[in-house]
Amino acid sequence: MRVVIVGGGIAAVYLANNLKKQNASLEVTILSDEKHPPYDRIHLCRLVDGSEDVDGISLPLDPTVILELGQKINKIDKDKKRVFSDNAMFRYDKLIIATGSKPITLFDIAYIKNAAVFRSADDSEIIKRGVQGREVVIVGSGPIGLELLETLNEMPHVEKLTLLVRGNHLYSKDLSIDSIKTIEECYTKNGKVRISYEDEIIEHEVHGGEITLLKTKKLQIENPFLVFGTGIKPNIESFRETLTCNKGILTNLYMQTDDENIYAVGECAEVQAFNYVAGHVKECTSEANCAISHILQTDVKEFEPAISIDMLKVGGFDLVEVNSPKFTGNYEKVLITSKEDNRIDEYFVTKDELTRFIGINSNVDVGYIETLINSGEKVDINYLYQNRLIGERGRLICSCEHVYHQDLVDIVTQTGIGSFGELSNFSDAGRVCGRCKIMVQDVIKDSQHLIDPNMPRKTPEEIKREREIVEVQKRIDKFNTLHPRNKLTTDNLESALASLDIGKHEVNSWISMVTADMQLHPNFEEVVEKGVKALNKVPIVWLELADCSGNSEAFIKSANPAIEDLIFDYISLDYHELLMSASGNQSETILEDIIKNQKGEYILIVEGAVPLAMDGKYLRIGPKGETGIELLKKCAKDAALVIAVGSCAFDGGVVAAAPNPTGAVGVGTALERTDVINISGCPTNPINIVGTLLSYIMFEELPPLDKFNRPLWAYEGRVHDNCERRGHYELGEFVQEWGDAGAKKGYCLFEMGCKGPYTNVNCPTMKFNGGTSWPVQAGHGCMGCVEQGFFDKFANERKYVEEEK
Amino acid sequence: MNTKKIVIDPITRIEGHLRAEVEVDENGVVQEAFVSGQLFRGIEIILKNRDPRDAGLMAGRICGVCTNSHFRGAITCVEDAYSLEIPKNAEIIRDLIAMALFIQDHVVHFYHLHSLDFVDVTSALLADAKLTSKEAHKYHKNPYRNSHSHYEAVLEKVGNFVKAGKLGPFSNGYWGHSDYKLTPEQNLILISHYLEALKFQTNISKAVAIFGAKTPHPQTLVVGGVTSVADMLNPQRLNDYLFIIKEAKVFIDRAYLPDAKLLALAYRDEIKAGVGRANGNFLSVGGYEFEGEQRLFCNGVIYGHDFVHVEEFDESKVTEEIDRAWFSGDAKENEVCYTDLNDDGSLKTAKNDDKYSWIKAPRYDGKTMETGPLARVLVSYSKDNKLIKSFVDEFLHDTDLELIDLSTTVGRNGARAIESGYICEYIFKLVSRLIQNIKYYDTDTWVKYDFEKLQKDAKGRAFLEVPRGVLSHFVNIKDAKIDNYSVIAPTTWNATPKNFDGLRGAYEEALVGIKIQDTSKPLEVLKVLHSFDPCLACAVHVIDAEGKELSRYKIKTL
Repeated sequence: MRVVIVGGGIAAVYLANNLKKQNASLEVTILSDEKHPPYDRIHLCRLVDGSEDVDGISLPLDPTVILELGQKINKIDKDKKRVFSDNAMFRYDKLIIATGSKPITLFDIAYIKNAAVFRSADDSEIIKRGVQGREVVIVGSGPIGLELLETLNEMPHVEKLTLLVRGNHLYSKDLSIDSIKTIEECYTKNGKVRISYEDEIIEHEVHGGEITLLKTKKLQIENPFLVFGTGIKPNIESFRETLTCNKGILTNLYMQTDDENIYAVGECAEVQAFNYVAGHVKECTSEANCAISHILQTDVKEFEPAISIDMLKVGGFDLVEVNSPKFTGNYEKVLITSKEDNRIDEYFVTKDELTRFIGINSNVDVGYIETLINSGEKVDINYLYQNRLIGERGRLICSCEHVYHQDLVDIVTQTGIGSFGELSNFSDAGRVCGRCKIMVQDVIKDSQHLIDPNMPRKTPEEIKREREIVEVQKRIDKFNTLHPRNKLTTDNLESALASLDIGKHEVNSWISMVTADMQLHPNFEEVVEKGVKALNKVPIVWLELADCSGNSEAFIKSANPAIEDLIFDYISLDYHELLMSASGNQSETILEDIIKNQKGEYILIVEGAVPLAMDGKYLRIGPKGETGIELLKKCAKDAALVIAVGSCAFDGGVVAAAPNPTGAVGVGTALERTDVINISGCPTNPINIVGTLLSYIMFEELPPLDKFNRPLWAYEGRVHDNCERRGHYELGEFVQEWGDAGAKKGYCLFEMGCKGPYTNVNCPTMKFNGGTSWPVQAGHGCMGCVEQGFFDKFANERKYVEEEK
Repeated sequence: MNTKKIVIDPITRIEGHLRAEVEVDENGVVQEAFVSGQLFRGIEIILKNRDPRDAGLMAGRICGVCTNSHFRGAITCVEDAYSLEIPKNAEIIRDLIAMALFIQDHVVHFYHLHSLDFVDVTSALLADAKLTSKEAHKYHKNPYRNSHSHYEAVLEKVGNFVKAGKLGPFSNGYWGHSDYKLTPEQNLILISHYLEALKFQTNISKAVAIFGAKTPHPQTLVVGGVTSVADMLNPQRLNDYLFIIKEAKVFIDRAYLPDAKLLALAYRDEIKAGVGRANGNFLSVGGYEFEGEQRLFCNGVIYGHDFVHVEEFDESKVTEEIDRAWFSGDAKENEVCYTDLNDDGSLKTAKNDDKYSWIKAPRYDGKTMETGPLARVLVSYSKDNKLIKSFVDEFLHDTDLELIDLSTTVGRNGARAIESGYICEYIFKLVSRLIQNIKYYDTDTWVKYDFEKLQKDAKGRAFLEVPRGVLSHFVNIKDAKIDNYSVIAPTTWNATPKNFDGLRGAYEEALVGIKIQDTSKPLEVLKVLHSFDPCLACAVHVIDAEGKELSRYKIKTL
């Protein structure tokens, strides 16, 4: 597919690079009417003061993009899918117009030598040459005019500057008088600049292609150099005939024009749904992303106006603006100013919501402001006041990447980088829209002295390596625990990594067990045999204490793996009162044998509570009449792992419910240990027992646990959030009494006392008995049986009231 | 006479903590027996002062093996207290859950909890697959999974297991014991079915879960009805339930019943010698509505194997004593009175008032009774229950036994298998009735009541037949709270300790007189006890069931 982009600015380059990035086989052509390859207009001031040339501000462009310069497109043939310049014709499959905007002038300056706009590299060149020895008159007090004013003010051979302002404001008509004064002072303090408010040009005399006299309402200036910074309009004159236009070329939410093969992006486009014309780089790139997604039909995105963050950085002051698309001219304003810090924060509030913020030398956390605007929460003035100095990270430097002054200093001092180029390994600050690049460079330069001279200077490779080591360390530690004989270290990362790779070729012990009796290739057979022999099944001791055998009963209904495979092939259920053939002395011999001869190898699973009252004598087991707690301690002492299954083993369960007649506690409490794994539930879902065992055998470590030592994979999700009846909850459709019409339709059971909102477990997804059902599906609702103390709290059919009790 | 005491604890392959102590003479013949429950949890005490509607969810936790039985027992007795009559559909749904659990329980009991008392796993490895297949044909014309290759696969699976040296649950069994009487081929048939039954019980549990939400511990019964109405109205759920039962019936007809016959034939001498017979007193409260006035099980009481004079069950004759259980006080106010074990860990039984068990002593008209599938089959058969008659007759015919022969260790298994067979048929009729109800637009599953307007003080009781026998729950409600609660479970009847009357319960009576060949390997004791399908979590209760006033129980704070 051939994509042709008309325009030579940042939008065109962004489009071309990202199209290529997503689909390298595209043929992408940029048609620019400039004579320079694309450059970043944001840095045009650097051309004016001569600190950069046009190559210095050029934009990186994918080398496979075809770039045609000097091609001003003036005609589109939609039917044949071609565009024409004065001297060439280009065929397209998809056309994207990104011609940006052009400046407005009060009169035609095409043939006047001492007048200019400020939009291109050529304009900068004209200004640079033209201002010498003349009084410079800048018309317009918007960001463009102010930036140029700042630049010229700093140039020694510019002696006099006049800013003509039609109204009586600078930067924005919504700024307070305090702000305007602050800005004004910054410009006027060295005496070169005068600002004439409520003024405009009323007459100009031209002789020999030069303006010789400029008359304004208030002033007369001879031999000036005039720069128009009065505003911009979409640069779409060549397309008005072929495409439907309003202010800009009208598009849908995919930036598609009325012709399905033609898109418009950036300042030349107007999203019809919102009559929205972009003004910032961020907005243009998000439009570009929508157009790209639609052209490539991958992950198609619709455009929506978002909050914009704008900054004006000139020597004397620092301005940040955060603007919501909801902002209108109707607002109330909260102003917080500090004379001492020369700081002004202006909060624009519309219907109790914050819709815009402009800060001068502000310390507020812009990220917070953005969140506040986004949330639409009611504005709390006290909070705004408290937030005014919150910016511990210093001033915002890069609004695109939300990088603050201190962030950059930290990077410099921690890594010892010395240039903008080196920064790219750590942060994209200054690289997105590019506006703050210079500031970023300055911060890097200014914080060089903070670098500890003794700190070894690291190359980006070394730093990358360090990061890798941090990541690899965990893997190496695990490898070392599994292979205690060959200790890997990170001293030689390559060989360590190579060893890990060899580790990958080991056949996981679980896979070995699963595949042991399959017909496999002989090469595989040996490793499998080894794995199985080494493991020889995991010995398991399952104790039943003050229980009802419900968890054992549940366990033997395990479906994957089926119980018969589980106990015959995978684990060695050596002691389990419910299933074992031996009794009395014979069974106790087995237990003694395991405890004595398989120290640190067997897994102890405990079901049931531990009665502690009456010296534990409410439960006695074995020919010697050991108490439950004695037996538990004996078995737990040398177990590799203790797992408490079911609610009773977790926290005493029903046995410990009020008034807890036998002084029952859970296994962890009874053993006074914090490393007992809990798999709560009444009974617990066998999937969660088997899953935890499998996880232990497969990954050779325990899964991550929650604060109750329950495996997160099973106990993280809230029942209510994953519930199949959640939709009815949202719609307010509730069962009101058992068996009513709602019950027949499967409405939400919240009103019938379902405790799903207070319960964290995987029942809704795993269900019970091979996925057959679960209490909510069966119309009863959850009773929170995995939660602590649920019998006294949740085990009923009434709505839970927090205060009840 | 010299007697020797043998202590067996834990008795495995049961629910809960059971101990048996038997005194044998020099020939190894048991002279006296004491069985004891070794765990006390006090669920009734926990139930006090709670909302009666919550009793089900809590009492359900009495047992995870007899899951659902106590859940239903508690809810039924609260409904009885408030005279709530639940809709027919709710009753059927409850029955469908219960019946699926009956067959699940019986199959798990027979194969996983009991069969290893008859089956020598190591002997099975010597079997010939072809001969095994042939052997199976003696007990059914179309035996379950009977191909040579299937038996070879079983041999390989068990063989690998034994070869690996890790026997898991089969470790340290009584392999090679002379009480094992089956041939290698017969052993292999039963081992094969042991493995198949693991699958069976996983599958049948899905049938329970369809209307019960899950098992163990179903969660769909509420005071006034059931909650799984959406499942009831979903034709696919009904269909799934039926198909699971259909598959279950295949296993019961072609594996379980033939295996019970196989045992009856192989252990004929033992049966005819009456090994494992108790005193011949049987109790059944009957139940499960069938057609019109008929019930699936009849109620009735048999004394001393007198099958001719079967008395009607009268709940006022049920009493409860604590002479030798770890409680003290009179019938009105009891408290825990633990007198401990001897220093060597054995039960204190020297004097005839020594206390030795957490299980209390229920009596019917002052007598100890046996309850369970055997009692149900004998009472129903003796009362000429048409439904069960053909099943019993066929079993007796195929095994050449008489009715009294069922009252033995092996016979109890026969009764359990017979019961499983006819319950399967009953389930199909139940589902059919449910479908008829829905067909004529009866979809009620809950009887409406306003709890706030129900009487504040009430008493209720429930007598139910559950897989292991007669279960009764009693509740006293005062000020809309549970004032007192008590339970008599099947195992409470069968595992009762002695009273001052000296009468032995069914377990103890059945043990007396058996001969133990090797006192270090008391397989014979296990066999007798397992035949009752003990469930100790159920059995231990602080109870009194004078039928009038429930007594109170306290725990001494220590």
